[in-house]
Amino acid sequence: MPRTAWIVGVAALALALGVATPWLVASKLTLSLTTQAIFDALLATSVGFLILQNGRVSFGQAAFFGLGGYAFGVLVARQAMAPELAFVLALALPTLVAFLLGIVFARITGVAHAMLTLAVGQAFYEIAFRWRELAKGDDGMSFDLPQRIFGFASNSLQNPAVMVVISWSILVLSLAGLALFANSRMGQIAAAVRDNEERARFIGHDTTIPPAIVYAISAFLAAIAGLLQATYNGYIAPQMFHWSLSGSALIMAVVGGAQFIIGPAFGAVCFFFLKDFAGRFAEYWPAIVGSVLVAVTLLMPQGIVGLASRAWTRQRSRS
Amino acid sequence: MAIQLLNGVVYGGLLYLLAVGLVLIFGLREVVNFAHGALFMLGSYIGYTLAASGQWWLGLLVSVVVMAAVGCILDVLVFRSLRKHDHIVTVLITFGLLLILETVVTVTWGKAYLSYPVPRLLAGTIEIAGSPFPIYRLFIIAVSLMVAIGLAAWLRFTRMGLYVRAASTNAHVTSIQGIDVDRLSLIVVGLGTALAGLSGVVAGPLLTLSPTMGNYILIDSFIVVVIGGLGSFGGAFIAALLIGQIHNLGAIYLPWAATMLPFMLMIGILIWRPTGFAGSRT
Repeated sequence: MPRTAWIVGVAALALALGVATPWLVASKLTLSLTTQAIFDALLATSVGFLILQNGRVSFGQAAFFGLGGYAFGVLVARQAMAPELAFVLALALPTLVAFLLGIVFARITGVAHAMLTLAVGQAFYEIAFRWRELAKGDDGMSFDLPQRIFGFASNSLQNPAVMVVISWSILVLSLAGLALFANSRMGQIAAAVRDNEERARFIGHDTTIPPAIVYAISAFLAAIAGLLQATYNGYIAPQMFHWSLSGSALIMAVVGGAQFIIGPAFGAVCFFFLKDFAGRFAEYWPAIVGSVLVAVTLLMPQGIVGLASRAWTRQRSRS
Repeated sequence: MAIQLLNGVVYGGLLYLLAVGLVLIFGLREVVNFAHGALFMLGSYIGYTLAASGQWWLGLLVSVVVMAAVGCILDVLVFRSLRKHDHIVTVLITFGLLLILETVVTVTWGKAYLSYPVPRLLAGTIEIAGSPFPIYRLFIIAVSLMVAIGLAAWLRFTRMGLYVRAASTNAHVTSIQGIDVDRLSLIVVGLGTALAGLSGVVAGPLLTLSPTMGNYILIDSFIVVVIGGLGSFGGAFIAALLIGQIHNLGAIYLPWAATMLPFMLMIGILIWRPTGFAGSRT
């Protein structure tokens, strides 16, 4: 299948580029910023994937981001189990929760879905905020990584030159995986349910499980982002669950172009560096973001990648 | 116990003032206004500016008038052009407005927490069932009851109220029958925003002011609107009282679960009836 070959080829190229980064970029600060931007890109990708495959807007994706980070942080800080097992649990728990929620949310679409996810996300935030014994509530909690994880010295996980390669590779593999999923049978069924649930049911497809699987996959990505961030910073705080984080991930996804698999990641990276660049206007930053969001939604609903893609098609048809 | 129930009614009343504005704007413009909490916050700050110099009542008036004007401007510049768009687009755009409003307030009034006192006329307490109860809280209950009764009478008995109800059900057919829905919407969005300003000033003495103060109450009012049924005025009233009670009684009897209860109720009701308990089954 040529499409699959394309995806694999581009991903391999992107991986090679990522591995070379620490040799190409000397500045530790740039590496660290890039790492943070990639965490954002993973979260935005998870929000965008839900829009792309299920046609649902989530205002609560931070719930899975926070759950991933908290599960790992709390288990490691209490030395409740081997860190490798904590790693796996931190990804499995949010995925399972999302799958179950996905089944429950199957009938709920549109605005009610946006509000429901907002409420569920805030419920997690409230728990993390108030439960002091869990992880010091509002103050947040720093924790020490165990000496070795999966046989590697764990302090390398807090070194930006290492983390940038790991997180970049994960991002590239995730994007490739999502592209392959969208082309798979399950992805096609989920898209059919998104476009017309009744028709999909009528031609004999189950209309609950495929969207729930999409939900689980998107939560898995958000959990990876949360887990990576908690590991990298050695710190968890209730803000990881807050709806403003879900909201900004949604903005990045929409501005980048949620109709495309790479759109949200692209939007996240653009936003991250724009924010860094506009540091001296920090006070006005939310208004800048808000204005960009309003302008993009009204003027170019397909986002930056959508605009680029249209320009590219036009260019090709002309020549 | 009577006191605790009354406290629940106070919070329910404030929620109603906000939720009914959301319902009005959703009914006429099909806009889910994520900026509504920020409008509440803006109204509160405008009231604060005058209340700080001892002009609490003037602050109330100015806030309501200014917010009504802000609502009209929003309707003309933003909501009117959103007519043809998907609901989700309106969610994103009003979310953008929320960020802009928060910044405007942060730059104008600063990030520090502010508070303003109860107006002198309404200071003091009154004895209810053997316990003291602040007169100011009774005032909040009275204001929200007056708004509820006034709004219900307006919608039920006036010609314009009839038009509003008709346009909330189907704006397109209503405009075909010769009613200027754009002008109607201007008035209704102005009214909804003015109510956000009213509740902002009225709630001011009970809360601390901060640029993000609208977020918490916005989420609660969304819960009210959703479980009441999107677009239902009666549903919003009942749901606001219900959430008000759950909010307060939960904090007393189930403190560890209090903040979760409204969310759980919402999830439960949506699973049972995705359109809310007073919403139409579509």
